[in-house]
Amino acid sequence: MSNIGYEEIARGVKLMCVNSGKFKTNCIYLDFYMPITDSLAAQYVLSSLMGHSSERYPTLKSFNAAAESLYGADFDSSVATIGEKTRIRFSVELPDDRFSLDGEKISQKAVDFLAEIIKNPCCKDGHFDEELAEREIRFTLENIEAEKNDKRAYAVSRLRQLMCSDEPYGIDRDKLENNVRGLDGKKLFDAYGEMLKKSSVFITACGTVDAQMLKRKFSGLFSGISGREPEKPETIFIEKADRVRYFKETMELSQAKLVIGLRTGMKDSADSYYAYRVMTDIFGGGPYSRLFMNVREKMSLCYYCSARLIRDKGIIFIQSGIEDENYQSALDEINAQLEIMKKGEFTDSEFDSSVCALSDAFSGVEDSPAAVCSYYSSQAFDSEILTGSEFAEKLGSVTREQVTACAQKVTVDSVYLLSNGENGDE
Amino acid sequence: MNNIKEIKNELLQDSYYEIDHASGLKIFVYPKENYSTSYAVFGTKYGSIDTCFKAEGEKEFTEVPEGIAHFLEHKLFESEELDAFERYGKTGASANAYTSFDKTCYLFSCSKNFDKSLEILLDFVTQPYFTPETVKKEQGIIGQEIKMCNDDPGWESLFALLRAMYHRHPVKIDIAGTVDSISRITADLLYGCYETFYNPANMALAVAGNVSVEGVLEVADRILKPKKCRKIERKFEAEPASVVEDTVIRRLPVAMPIFTIGFKEDIKTPERTLKEVTESNILLDIIAGRTSPLYESLIDEGLINTAFDTEYFEGYGYSAHIFSGESENYEKVRERINKEIEKLKKTGVDEKDFERIKRKHYGSFIMNFNDVDSIANSLVGAYFNGEGLFDQLEVLESITAENINSRLRNAFAVENSSMSVIKRD
Repeated sequence: MSNIGYEEIARGVKLMCVNSGKFKTNCIYLDFYMPITDSLAAQYVLSSLMGHSSERYPTLKSFNAAAESLYGADFDSSVATIGEKTRIRFSVELPDDRFSLDGEKISQKAVDFLAEIIKNPCCKDGHFDEELAEREIRFTLENIEAEKNDKRAYAVSRLRQLMCSDEPYGIDRDKLENNVRGLDGKKLFDAYGEMLKKSSVFITACGTVDAQMLKRKFSGLFSGISGREPEKPETIFIEKADRVRYFKETMELSQAKLVIGLRTGMKDSADSYYAYRVMTDIFGGGPYSRLFMNVREKMSLCYYCSARLIRDKGIIFIQSGIEDENYQSALDEINAQLEIMKKGEFTDSEFDSSVCALSDAFSGVEDSPAAVCSYYSSQAFDSEILTGSEFAEKLGSVTREQVTACAQKVTVDSVYLLSNGENGDE
Repeated sequence: MNNIKEIKNELLQDSYYEIDHASGLKIFVYPKENYSTSYAVFGTKYGSIDTCFKAEGEKEFTEVPEGIAHFLEHKLFESEELDAFERYGKTGASANAYTSFDKTCYLFSCSKNFDKSLEILLDFVTQPYFTPETVKKEQGIIGQEIKMCNDDPGWESLFALLRAMYHRHPVKIDIAGTVDSISRITADLLYGCYETFYNPANMALAVAGNVSVEGVLEVADRILKPKKCRKIERKFEAEPASVVEDTVIRRLPVAMPIFTIGFKEDIKTPERTLKEVTESNILLDIIAGRTSPLYESLIDEGLINTAFDTEYFEGYGYSAHIFSGESENYEKVRERINKEIEKLKKTGVDEKDFERIKRKHYGSFIMNFNDVDSIANSLVGAYFNGEGLFDQLEVLESITAENINSRLRNAFAVENSSMSVIKRD
């Protein structure tokens, strides 16, 4: 691996290329970061629209055929919220140039295609084509609504909204849907302009793709945009919950979904991060974790019970699928396990297993171009970029005492049950 | 004595090794230069469809409760002393397992201590330990796994379709069984299934990544003991060409109706060749892929959204071409798919579309050779199907537009199709 670290190639545009000949593919991520605002609705539609059309390829068929001709290049666009930042991602992965049948430089063509999507979307005279806008608004609305189909994800999304209702992180799905409905070709064009001017842009590439070519292409593209003033996205970290709030909603389900939101005490995304990571893992990570061993294996209450640290917001989500009637016993057991963490009563073996598993996992993050792009782009805003092995070392140096100190700062904020309603109302 | 054969691919510039191990087990080793991770998968050709069978030397066929292969997968992790997860805890490997219609696989990935983790894998899979108490405990856990799947409308729609298409073939039963069927599983039944299906002749081990033949064999020679190979006879009742029901509708809380449409293929032999499978995948792209006229018009008319997808679904004794998505007007979508199929049968496929899609499949083939997990799992899958990992490339090159037209005429009969719909309450 070489060239670890992002280089600024235009105002607020950073590029990192991990050159490696060991892979069969090249992969490029192009990420636009902005603070979460009411523009989120437009950003969802914009990402879909720009991921399905461009000036040169206005129809779905021509757009998809362009990707298909590049040996089935996997083009994708998506929106995610990372803490209180919105990230619009355009990505491509395709076979390395050495596999093209006629010696064509397909990586160059893929880069041209990405640039074309960004620079020349399907619009004219200050607005996107209305028919196109309408189609993409429909896709976006149907996509947002389809979240209800995935009950586990839906339950987490509901808890997030209820728990963080006063923070940008607690995205209100109804408001989002309404905002999407109110969009049109003109408003989407304005959001496109805002994205080009106000985003912090990170380009991450891996494989044999020519770094100089990427640099020329995108420094040229972004330098040509006048008035670029990237906004620095900030996230509010609420360190402590002052009381526990309980929420219950019903849906016709086979199994109730329990989600618990915790405030970790982190002041920012770098605050004791490695210790929090190990703490969350011992508590509810792998099969050696307290939640897995007790709520699932000892008590047979569930198939899954796990905890996940949201580093960029300083929150932990616990998730489990249970029988309605077992709600109280599951909740009591989860709380009891959290107390054990706070008292530092987890075993040496649990601690060692966790550190060993996490270090092992991070030592191996650089074995596919997509994994490389994903891993490094997740550090885009960090002051120091670490390789997988360096990351593993940091995790390996965490002590039991640090883990206990982190656990002691954790407070339960909200408990959410998506119930099948069989057990009556509370 | 272990017999070792190297299999090379010029295009990929990769090689793997196929080993006939002295224990009777087939072992594959696919080294990846400059990789730091290793991945191992130990699989048996035994899945949810194997509900009625007879091992060599037995007089009668045994019929077992639905979901037992998956139940066995859960229980194999336990032993009289430390369970497998606790042992992996000391090596740092990330371990898991899965059961499908026709196989059960145990796997781990790691970047350190590969030999020790491989030793754990080979050891626990070859050392069953079941007791009435541990079986009872698992019924609660798997019961919740079944209920979790019951809340997944996509999963429910697929199985409703399989029940609508298949009269007798066990592909229609849920992989994990039902809360009722797993309540009939006992430790003795688990031992019976284990003895039948977990023997070297019915299994394979594949490793990929930062590995070597010598390293793998050192562990395998030490842990794997020769075991008497028993032939297995599986019993499947004859499946008619017709479907059970044309349309089935279920109600669940979903945002928009979810449809799954399947064209059941009238098959004369239980297994499809790699050529047929590859043709089917190309054909589905031609009929309804992202660059097809059908996809574009269904989108433009607001009949489908980007969740629309196709899948060629096949295994021992079953084969179906599946179209799925979300639509308020699923009847219309079905009608349009039928029409397109009839039209293509008459006109034949467009040569230019065919060449472009073939190129896409060539690209997809190459893209499968980055990830060690995908390589190792594909090695096991290909072996159980009687194929080599690189065979697809040659097959793909040999396919012509005429092959696709002929596959279309033979595998799609509108009268043997079903649709399942999950609607909101």
